[in-house]
Amino acid sequence: MTVSQYFRLINIHARMLLKVDANTFKLGFLWWFLEPLMWVGVFYVVFNLILDSRKGGDFMVFLTCGKFAFIWFSKTVIQASGSIVASKGLVGKINIPKSVWPMSAIQESLYRQSSVYLLLFVILAFFGIYPDITWLWLVPVLFVMYLMIVAVGLAGAYLVCVVRDFQKFITLGMTFLLFTSGIFWDVRDVGSEEKTQFLLAINPLAFMLDAHRQILMHDTAPAALHLLLIGVGASILIGLMLLLMRRYNHYLALKVIT
Amino acid sequence: MLELKHVSLDYHSSKGTFDHGVHHVLNDVSFKLYENETLGIIGRNGVGKTTSLRIMADILAPTRGDIITRRGATASLLTLGLGFRPDLSGRDNAMLSAVLQGASEREAIGFLEEIKDFSELGDSFEEPVKTYSSGMRSRLGFTTALMTHVDILLIDEVLSVGDAQFKAKAEQAMKERICGEQTVVFVSHSDSQVQNLCDRVIWLDKGSIAAQGDPETVIAQYRESIRTQTRANKKRLADVSTDLKA
Repeated sequence: MTVSQYFRLINIHARMLLKVDANTFKLGFLWWFLEPLMWVGVFYVVFNLILDSRKGGDFMVFLTCGKFAFIWFSKTVIQASGSIVASKGLVGKINIPKSVWPMSAIQESLYRQSSVYLLLFVILAFFGIYPDITWLWLVPVLFVMYLMIVAVGLAGAYLVCVVRDFQKFITLGMTFLLFTSGIFWDVRDVGSEEKTQFLLAINPLAFMLDAHRQILMHDTAPAALHLLLIGVGASILIGLMLLLMRRYNHYLALKVIT
Repeated sequence: MLELKHVSLDYHSSKGTFDHGVHHVLNDVSFKLYENETLGIIGRNGVGKTTSLRIMADILAPTRGDIITRRGATASLLTLGLGFRPDLSGRDNAMLSAVLQGASEREAIGFLEEIKDFSELGDSFEEPVKTYSSGMRSRLGFTTALMTHVDILLIDEVLSVGDAQFKAKAEQAMKERICGEQTVVFVSHSDSQVQNLCDRVIWLDKGSIAAQGDPETVIAQYRESIRTQTRANKKRLADVSTDLKA
């Protein structure tokens, strides 16, 4: 399979997955917006009405920025991780690179997420936050997020093929990350600067979510070197996973079929 | 065109099953596939026919043994329902199937009307596949499979389903492909199809080759073994019934 055939296949498969998503539910593609909006509604009810924390609009924006970016990462990784085993029928019938399945899921998610980010900008405007020149930093930040998702998605897909239990571990892992990545609490408000830097260093996702908020809420550029390191690390993992999937192509097919 | 040399395939199943948890799907299978010939593979369910096709299609690799393929030769496994998504229409599924089998988007779009006509699905072609009957699915599956053009066609019982009228049409279409310069490996449970279409037949039994040669002889040997097995099963059943009554 040539490189152009590979990407063409991923793109068409991703578009078909979008159609399936839209056709499965009565509200169709509206769910792409409804689901993140419901999260915003839940945050308002919990933090402003039930807890009466009076944290105001800033905290709503804080939660929304982190949560929308996290949803992209967690949902995509879970979907990509299960994509090869979910395509058991096709895996047993046609020989194509196994990475096509997770990459299609990731591409489909990218299309959906682009509408979610548009919604995010609308919500920010509602709270009086408008685009600034520093928002251009979102381009490298989103690109590195994408690389992270591809890296973790490919690794998850490989592991789940070999041992199905990893599907459970990955779902639990996403829940763990939900609470430890500074979505509901500010990673810069943990008591000391050392602790903040430590948390940002060991959890790349926390860094990425914080980068979103730094750019969108504070018009501040993220730490470029740190961003580059995460990008390079993700790229190395992507290269490794693609090599592994190519090397063990038949083994993965056997594990899925049997 | 293609040769399997002492090919075996095992996989690890649940402990306590098969051979200490190892299922020997294929055991020391060797045969050659010559250019332009139609080779039939027959055998009971679960003997390794589909696994053999998957190895030839490069979907699976053998645990032991070698596969030698002529340089540059392409092979494709034709089997029904190439991963149909129930929530997509017949048209979208056909499009996806064509692209998965190597067609460009433009080529795939070009095939769509041809697929719609041949499959006789009419307006249902635009409806989700989840609304289709099994016969309609098999018609769509067969028609999309027919669009593949490769050096070696590996056919896994695609002519086994569908209503009588479509079956006849499908057989004729497949016959035209097979009788040309196409190299084919054909798996079927239909003796008449195998005898009509195949130049040579292999009988697989419990993962090994029990016989190979001209279709009439091998099919006769295969049928005789089924009759022998059936008589043995009946006797065993009668003995068990007698023991229970006693």
